[in-house]
Amino acid sequence: MARKDSVLTVDVADSGVTFSLREMCERGECHAEMVLKMVSYGIIEPIEPAASDAEQTWEFDLAALMRLHKAIRLQRDLKLNLPGLAMSLDLLDEVESMRRDIARLRQQLRHLSRDQGGD
Amino acid sequence: MDFKDYYAALGVSESASPEEIKKAYRKLARKYHPDVSKETKADEKFKDVGEAYEVLKDPEKRAEYDQLRKYGARADGSFEPPPGWQSASGFGSGGYTEADARGFSDFFEEIFGGGGHGDAFSGRGFGGAGGGYRQQMRGEDVHARLALFLEEVFHGCEKKVSFTVHEADQQGRFRPRQKTLNVKIPAGMRDGQHLRLKGQGSPGFGGGEAGDLLLEIELAPHPTFTVEGRDILVTVPVAPWEAALGASITVPTVGSKVSVKVPKNSSSGRKLRLKGKGLPGKHPGDQIVVLQIVMPEQHSKDAEQLYQKLAEAERQFNPRSKMHL
Repeated sequence: MARKDSVLTVDVADSGVTFSLREMCERGECHAEMVLKMVSYGIIEPIEPAASDAEQTWEFDLAALMRLHKAIRLQRDLKLNLPGLAMSLDLLDEVESMRRDIARLRQQLRHLSRDQGGD
Repeated sequence: MDFKDYYAALGVSESASPEEIKKAYRKLARKYHPDVSKETKADEKFKDVGEAYEVLKDPEKRAEYDQLRKYGARADGSFEPPPGWQSASGFGSGGYTEADARGFSDFFEEIFGGGGHGDAFSGRGFGGAGGGYRQQMRGEDVHARLALFLEEVFHGCEKKVSFTVHEADQQGRFRPRQKTLNVKIPAGMRDGQHLRLKGQGSPGFGGGEAGDLLLEIELAPHPTFTVEGRDILVTVPVAPWEAALGASITVPTVGSKVSVKVPKNSSSGRKLRLKGKGLPGKHPGDQIVVLQIVMPEQHSKDAEQLYQKLAEAERQFNPRSKMHL
């Protein structure tokens, strides 16, 4: 079933890319109201939040697009409402950042105890 | 084909009530959701749980499944549906379902019909900015994680990335396909940073644009260095006399080494900043050297005598003065 592709080399040049409201809807397979609600709940934010009255000029970065995908997956699979979704994503972010901190601190501890001959 | 034990997947008994099945599913869906769980193979478990629930929540499908379970399963765990088997409940052919059926198992497809992979017309035709055109559809964006070593992040690298895209066949049914790309990663990526590869996600349908591949960079732990933002930390052992008198020492950098001056009278934990030696980029980070005073495993008699002299000469120094001792 799985056919193998020929291997392509891709140069990663456009990570500074942005997406309009329309593109966000298309990629997230959702309606504009959904994206607007997600913005108003602080789940995602346009790059320049100052222009909050002019949705048609909003631009979102790659991180916002990936967060939108994640939010939609969570909402679809776990049937979360928007406040629940916003809180879950905040808590998941916090857990993720703590996991990273713990991993880094553990590693530093390992380096210290090794240098002390304790490892 | 392997027989799928849907009751085991949900951890419920054959006699479980619909309420028990729903409860078990909800709990496991939260636990194994790939966006929540850090368990290995969480996505597979999540899919299994979803597939099991898709069958067991529906009384008709459940009854059919129970029947097959009784007669179709063989002793070695393999499974063959009885000749002439046809599901009455139907899944793909017109049957509406909320579930994202792409990725359900061959077992599921064999029992409940060919729609097991979802199709371009019913599975995800809704939404979209225009809403109206369901014949032309943009391919989905595909997410993948890419684990890199610090050396690779520091110098940039070329990496093979494998991921699954969903491609509609002539009948408009989505089929998974393994795709492999050779990706050139620029130097200076950060842990958790996102990258987009335009048009490398799932192909579009009916002339629609292809989706993108969205990569998340994951930095693997390094035996010597730790990374904090754009800075690279390294703990470097020094001898007590190097710390006391000052010294020029050699410290490792990623892929090289550099000479550093330890200032006179340095305590353990002192940080020396090497400007611009961190992760490269528009605003390169620094390398931070943390000094760690270490003792030889044994001192010679001469050294012990010298320490004795030192103790007398520095009688005034109380290292625990801040503890009021």
